[in-house]
Amino acid sequence: MRRQFLKKAHKALTNPTLQKALDQNAERRESGRVRAFSTLPNAENTLKEAAQIRRKTIDNLAEYLAQFIKRAQENGIQVHGPLNAHAAALTAAEIAKENNARLIVKSKSMVSEEIELNHKLEAAGMRVVETDLGEFIVQLRGEAPGHIITPAIHLLREDVARTFTSKLNVPHSTDVAEMTKTARRVMRKDFLSAEVGISGVNFGVVETGTVCIVANEGNGRMVSTVPPVHIALMGVERLVPSLENLAVLLQVLPRSATGQNLTSYVSLIQRPRQGDEADGAEERHLILIDNGRLAMQHSQFQDALLCLRCGACLNACPVFREIGGHTYGSAYPGPIGSLVSPGLFGIKQYGHLSKASTLCGACTEVCPAGIDFTKMLLRTRGEYVRAAPQPAWLRVGMPLFTWMMSSPGRYRRVQSIAAFFLRFLPNRGGWLYRLPPPLSGWTRSRDFPPLAAEPFHARFHRLKSTGNGPSKVAEMVQETQTQENEPLQGDLIVRFQEELERVDGEFEQYSSDELPHKIADFLASIKVDQILGWGEQSPEFNSIANHLREAGIQIMEAAVPRSEDGNTRYETLAGLDQAPAGLTTCLAGLADTGTVILPSGAGLSSLTSLLPRTHLVLLRAKDIYPSLDHWIRAGGREAIASASQLTLITGPSRTADVEMILTLGVHGPERLVVFTLD
Amino acid sequence: MRIQLFITCMIDSLFPQIGEAVFEVLSVAGVEIHFPTDQTCCGQPTYNAGYRDHVKNLAKRTIETLTRSDDPVVIPSGSCAVMIRKEFLELFREDPPWHQRAQALASRTYELSEFLVDVLGHTEYQASFGGRIAYHPSCHLLRGLGVETQPLDLLNQIRGADVLSLSPDCCGFGGVFAIDHAEISGEMMNRKLDAIENSGADVVVGADVSCLMQIEGGLRRRGSSIRCAHIAQIIAMKEPGLR
Repeated sequence: MRRQFLKKAHKALTNPTLQKALDQNAERRESGRVRAFSTLPNAENTLKEAAQIRRKTIDNLAEYLAQFIKRAQENGIQVHGPLNAHAAALTAAEIAKENNARLIVKSKSMVSEEIELNHKLEAAGMRVVETDLGEFIVQLRGEAPGHIITPAIHLLREDVARTFTSKLNVPHSTDVAEMTKTARRVMRKDFLSAEVGISGVNFGVVETGTVCIVANEGNGRMVSTVPPVHIALMGVERLVPSLENLAVLLQVLPRSATGQNLTSYVSLIQRPRQGDEADGAEERHLILIDNGRLAMQHSQFQDALLCLRCGACLNACPVFREIGGHTYGSAYPGPIGSLVSPGLFGIKQYGHLSKASTLCGACTEVCPAGIDFTKMLLRTRGEYVRAAPQPAWLRVGMPLFTWMMSSPGRYRRVQSIAAFFLRFLPNRGGWLYRLPPPLSGWTRSRDFPPLAAEPFHARFHRLKSTGNGPSKVAEMVQETQTQENEPLQGDLIVRFQEELERVDGEFEQYSSDELPHKIADFLASIKVDQILGWGEQSPEFNSIANHLREAGIQIMEAAVPRSEDGNTRYETLAGLDQAPAGLTTCLAGLADTGTVILPSGAGLSSLTSLLPRTHLVLLRAKDIYPSLDHWIRAGGREAIASASQLTLITGPSRTADVEMILTLGVHGPERLVVFTLD
Repeated sequence: MRIQLFITCMIDSLFPQIGEAVFEVLSVAGVEIHFPTDQTCCGQPTYNAGYRDHVKNLAKRTIETLTRSDDPVVIPSGSCAVMIRKEFLELFREDPPWHQRAQALASRTYELSEFLVDVLGHTEYQASFGGRIAYHPSCHLLRGLGVETQPLDLLNQIRGADVLSLSPDCCGFGGVFAIDHAEISGEMMNRKLDAIENSGADVVVGADVSCLMQIEGGLRRRGSSIRCAHIAQIIAMKEPGLR
C-alpha cells in the first residue's frame, strides 16, 4: 500500500494540470474560509462552541443515537441499522428493488463512496446518476472524486469540455456557464423521472429527529422531494443534540467548506409526505452506517469522529496540495482521511497514510470541530508501527538511535566516529551532496551538513556566562470581551439586504400597495406570463396573486404527482418544469446570512422555488430575525417540528465545481428576488 | 536568573556554532546558564516515527536530567520544545507519576525567542545587520507552541535590517518524512525556496534548526547564495550560514 501511495504521489507531482488545479484550490478555498469567518462577530467563540458540541455528541454517541432513532421513527421515517458497509449497500439496493427502481438520482454523499453503493445498485440492474456537478463529471469519466467537497478538483475546464463532448454528444465548449447549462438540461429529465432519490445527511438532529442536508446546487432538494422514495445515508456520528446546536454548526460548516456564510440550500426534513401535502418523498428511509464508527468511539482514535466533513483540512494541507486526493487510495483523502481510513478500514492497509504528513498542524488550525490532527496522526503512527512491518532502516534504525541516545557516553562515541567517516563523502562547500541509502532520499534534492568535528557539548566549558544584564518578567495582558447589543429591526433589513446581495440574491422593498404592481412589472420585464405559485396564503399573497391574474399572468399551483399516477407523473412534472418563474412566501428571513426559510405542506410545493429559472419570494420585514438561532428560539423550533420539510434558501443555486468558477443556476433557480414588505 | 540550556542533539552534533550563539545571546540577556552535560536527545525522531514504546526510557532520562533543578529550561528549537511540552504528556498519559513529572517540566520549558521576549521582556540586543531578513515561521513553533510575534519582535530591533515574514507554509522537512517521502518533501521545499528567492532576502532566519537545515540544504543544491541563520546567530551578529 505504501509503495502504491508513493507511486501515485509521483504521478500526481509530475502532472502539471493537477498541480495547477490543486494550487488554485488551496489558494481560493483558504482565502474564502478566512473571509467568511471574518464576517462572524465572534468567530473564535463560535468555533470553540462548535468544537464543544461535537465533543459532547461523540462522548454520548450511543444515547444520542438511540434518541435520534426513536424520534425519526416517530416522525414516520423508516430507520435501518446501524449497519456495516456491505449490509448498508444491500439494504439500499433492496429498498430500490422493492420500488421497481430503474433510475436512481443521487446527491453527493461521501458515505455512499465509503460503502461503494453505486456498484451494488448497478449490479442490481439500476442506473445511478450522480447529480452533483462535480460528481456527475467524475462519474462520466469513470473516476473517483478527488476531494470530498470538490469532486472534480483534479480537472481543468478543457478536460470537462472534452468529457461532455464525447459522453453527452454536445458541441465542444469550454465556457463553464454553458457546460453547467448542459448538465442542468441533461439531468433535469432524470430528476423528474427517477423512482428513487438517494442523498447523504449532514446532520441528524437528536431533539426532533430531523434530517438536515446542506447543499448548493439544488440537487439535494431534488432527490429528497421529487422521487416518490428517498433514501438518506448517514454515518452514525453525524448527530447534533439540539436545533440551537445545529444553528451553531451551520455557522461553521459552510464557512469552513466553501467560504460561504451559509450554503444556498439547507433542507430540514422531518417526515414523509403527509396526506394533502404538495410534495416530498412518500417513503423516507434512513440508513445508518456504523462500519467501524461505534468501535472507534471507544478507542484512542475517537476524535476522528468529531469531523464535520468540511474538507478545510484538505485545502490547508501542504501535502494534499502536492499529491491530490486520488493518491490516498480511500474515499476519504487528506489529513482527515489519514485518520478515518486507518480507523475504519484497517490500520494495516491504511496506517501508512499517517506518515504522509510533516505534522505541520495546518489542518488542526483550520478544523472547526477541534480535532487535534497532530496528536491523532501520531497515535495512528504508533498503532501502525505495532501492526504492520516497517522498512528495515526504520525498524532497526529507530530503536538503535534511541539506544544510542539513552547513554551520553554512547552518543558521544558514535557521534565522533560518524563525524570521522562522513568526512570521506563527497562534498561541495563543506555540505554533502550524496548520502548512501537509506538516507539517499535526503540528497536527491538537498545537501546535508557533515557532523561537527567538535560538538557543542565539547565546546561548552570554554564558554563563559557574564550573568549581568536587564531582566524583568513580562506581564500578562488580559483580553477584554466585547458584548454585542441586540440589533434594531431597521438594521436587520439593511443587513439582510447586504448579505442577500453578497450571495447574488436581489432585494426589493415596497409598501403593500405598491407590491402587486411591482411584481407584475418585474414579470413583464422578464417576459413571463406563466408562473408556478402556491395555494391560498396570507391576504398579502392572495391580493398579489389576484392582481397578477388580472394582469394576464397564469399561476399554476405546483404539486408533485403521487407515485400511483404512474405514467402521467413525468408528463405533469415536465409541464410544470416549463414555467420560467415561481412565486412563494416565506416563514422568516435571517439577517446574518440573507436567508429565507420556506415551509412545505398543502399547496406549498418546493417545486415552485426549485424548478424555475427565477424564484420570487415575499418576505415581511417584521419576519426578519438576526440569525437562525434567534428564529429557532422565537418559534422556529415548533415550525421545524410541525412541518414535513423546511428549506433554508440563501441566494440562487450555485456551483464552483469546475475550476472553482462560480456559476449560478445549476439545478435550482439562477435568480432569487426577495420582495420585502414594509 | 538561572536557566538550564537544552541544546538539542541537532545543534550539538551538526551545528555547534548555533549553540555558541545561543549561549552568547542568553549571556547578554543577563541570565546564568547551566548546561546539564548528560543531556542527549528528547526522543522526537523516534516518537514521530511511531516507536512510542522505545522512546519512553529516553523521555524519562530527559525528564530526570532537567528536573535536578527547578530552573526554567530554554530550548533553541520549536519542535524539541513541543516534544517536551506537549508530547511527553501524551506519551505518559496512562502513567500518572511520570505524567505529573512531565507536567511540572512542561510548565517551565520555553523556546528561546519566547523566553527572551515573554519571560525576560527584552527584545533589544544591540545587533545590526545590513540587508533583508526573511523570517521563516516554522510549524512547530507557530502552531505547536503559538509563538508568532516574539521572533519578529527580536528581529525588528536589529539595526539596519529589513525584516519580512515568509508565509507560514511548511518547508517540507517533517523529520523521517524528508527521507521516506523524499519526493513530496522536495516539492514542498521547492515552493518555499521559490518564495525565498522571490523575496529578495539576503538571509533566511528561523528558530527551528531542522527547517533551516532543509532550507539551506536546498538553497545550496540550487546554487543560491542565500544562506540561513538561526535567530540566535543573527542576534549575535554571526555571518549567515548554518556552519
